[in-house]
Amino acid sequence: MGLDPRAKLYLLLLANLMLFFHVGLVTQIVMVVLFLTPLAAAGRLRMAARFAVLYAALTALGMLDPDAMGVPQLHVVAALAVGVSMMLPCFMTGAYAFTTTSASAFVCAMRRMRVPETVVIPCVVIIRFFPTILPDYRRIREAMALRGIASGAFAWIRHPAQSLEYVVVPLLMNATTVAQDLSVAALTKGLGRKGAHTSRTAIRMRAADWVMMSAATAPLVLDIAGVI
Amino acid sequence: MADVVSRTALDMREVSFRYDAGDAADAAEVPPDAFADARQTASPPALDDASLRLAPGECVVLCGGSGCGKTTLTRVANGLIPSFFHGVFTGSCLTCGLDTTQVPIDRLTPLTGSVFQNPKTQYFNANSTDELAFPCENMGMETAEINRRVSEVAERFGVADLLERDVLRLSGGQRQRIAMAAANMLEPRLVVLDEPTSNLDSSAIDDMRLLVARMKADGVAVLVAEHRLAWLNGVADRYVVFKSGRIVRSCAADEFLALSPDTVAGMGLRALDLEPYRQRVRGLVASEAASGRGADGASGVPLLRTRDLVIGHDRRRTGLRFGLAGAGRANGRDHRGVQDRSMPFRRAVDDLTLYRGQIVGLMGRNGAGKTTLVRTLTGLMRPLSGQIELDGRVANAHALTRAGFMVMQDVNYQLFSASVREELMLGFDEDDADARTRCDSILDELDLTAFADRHPMSLSGGQKQRVAIGSALMCGKDLIVLDEPTSGLDRLHMEQVGRLLRRLADSGRTLLVVTHDEELAAGWCDRIVMLSDQR
Repeated sequence: MGLDPRAKLYLLLLANLMLFFHVGLVTQIVMVVLFLTPLAAAGRLRMAARFAVLYAALTALGMLDPDAMGVPQLHVVAALAVGVSMMLPCFMTGAYAFTTTSASAFVCAMRRMRVPETVVIPCVVIIRFFPTILPDYRRIREAMALRGIASGAFAWIRHPAQSLEYVVVPLLMNATTVAQDLSVAALTKGLGRKGAHTSRTAIRMRAADWVMMSAATAPLVLDIAGVI
Repeated sequence: MADVVSRTALDMREVSFRYDAGDAADAAEVPPDAFADARQTASPPALDDASLRLAPGECVVLCGGSGCGKTTLTRVANGLIPSFFHGVFTGSCLTCGLDTTQVPIDRLTPLTGSVFQNPKTQYFNANSTDELAFPCENMGMETAEINRRVSEVAERFGVADLLERDVLRLSGGQRQRIAMAAANMLEPRLVVLDEPTSNLDSSAIDDMRLLVARMKADGVAVLVAEHRLAWLNGVADRYVVFKSGRIVRSCAADEFLALSPDTVAGMGLRALDLEPYRQRVRGLVASEAASGRGADGASGVPLLRTRDLVIGHDRRRTGLRFGLAGAGRANGRDHRGVQDRSMPFRRAVDDLTLYRGQIVGLMGRNGAGKTTLVRTLTGLMRPLSGQIELDGRVANAHALTRAGFMVMQDVNYQLFSASVREELMLGFDEDDADARTRCDSILDELDLTAFADRHPMSLSGGQKQRVAIGSALMCGKDLIVLDEPTSGLDRLHMEQVGRLLRRLADSGRTLLVVTHDEELAAGWCDRIVMLSDQR
């Protein structure tokens, strides 16, 4: 089962609203279950399971009562856990939207939503950039290792600013050449052409999309209205 | 008259072009070693009074050294000048009857297709079929028509087996074939190829020849800017030689191919016939096999020796892969035996011995495991089994990383500092007089003294390569591995790399060069190890 990209973006929006409105724990749990269902249905079982475990662990940590345990220092941990668990739904829906949708489906969805081309084109390029970052990062780490520049987790803790510089400088330098090459290729393929663009990828809002969207909206609305 | 115009694919008359300072005056078009000063003073014209006509079905090859103007000419032909690259333009250029200086580049999209040098940076879609459909979608075609064209073009260009695949998992050669097919989706009348083979191995280059022949048979005019010339024998109709932006020679294929190798070399061009080079490579490979993997012929303790080495990786490496859904996945290996990076890979390597003072070439087809081998030898990966000895002692991955260095094909990844001198001094104390002296002598050895205070990213590719080598020498590395150091280089710069390798070897360093470049291998390597296909 795959939802329409528009439904996926709607879920992402809901997750952000959840964070904004500070929903109650019950609503949060219901929403998390609703968010993880399509992720699992799309075949990302492992990812869904990891999110579920992480969320459960953070929620459990957040429910600790450090004063009762006599370890007031644990307040820091509990507060951090609550904070992260509140942001987690955004990561879940974000991961769902971006790992299960092809670039062309996204572009098609944005055009259907009448998003102006000035927004669509940068989005195409950004989506195109994502998959290159991880391999680039690995190469840079290797280059650092060969130069004897510490590049492990320890180095990140000891010299965060310097480590960031060593990684970001080559990454950006490379990105500028890639950006120029991509712009040139885009121009010759007519990406910026005026007039209607079509898409081979067919996207359609189906019953499942509407069901999912209303199912995820309901708890949020009820929570904001004060029912839950 | 109108008929003549419409039948000419390209009609360029007395075109001169000078890039705006700072605007797109990229390393590709400015003579690399003059790059430093070219920017400050007025840049010389990239193209000077060039006239060229292409008839349908004709293939014209533009050749000449780096920065000779051939890439600029392709940019004029496909309208990137003046749409993307700005500067002063005089003369006239009609591409398929349209004046490129007057019409927006969108009007040229359906008439011209373009393929560029780097297979990594010219596709937009993660899925190969989407990539073919992309130009059609931009033209606003109906889905049925797009699908019809995709299957028709895929059939015609022999890429049907590459449809519905994840582009990231295709080899460079396969990506270039997809790029060639994509350039033909709108049934163009002119296709412009800008150094399409610089990153490819010889069998992938042979595929490119077939695709060019296919386009010619369909009546498409083909304009190729290229350093490597041998692959175009038989499909090129005319050769145009550039020097400093001017056309210095233009002749028919038979006349050009009859030129003596020395004349061709004299024009700074790569060989037209690779057979003598291939013969020498075969000879070196054979003597390597006969001498028991180079065990004799050199004396003393080898720097590095492998025993019963098995290289590869067992575990699947997965990472976050955004926007890749729906892309088809190949199982392990595709039909050409190219290794899928996230799949387990495993191969045994014949025992290998590297001596100081030697340049050893490492050749073999894509997917044979050359990169995996050099990554293992430099300790970036652990061998699956077997041992690697350094100076006669078994070494672990850490020791190998300390002793070895790799100059990556994309050298941009390994330059971290704001100036060449800082780059070399990275990790050393600035006040250490001894280190400073050593730094100066290395800068001198690599002809980098003049650039010591420049930002590494403002240098040409060859200069960056030398900075990376300098950083290795500074760290006192014994083994220097170079990954495809001459891809995309003209004859002059290829020979420059060769001479540098020789000098480094003569001063006692050990060099291992991974290369597809037969001219470099034949001309400069002392030994050649051929990593055969496994099956």
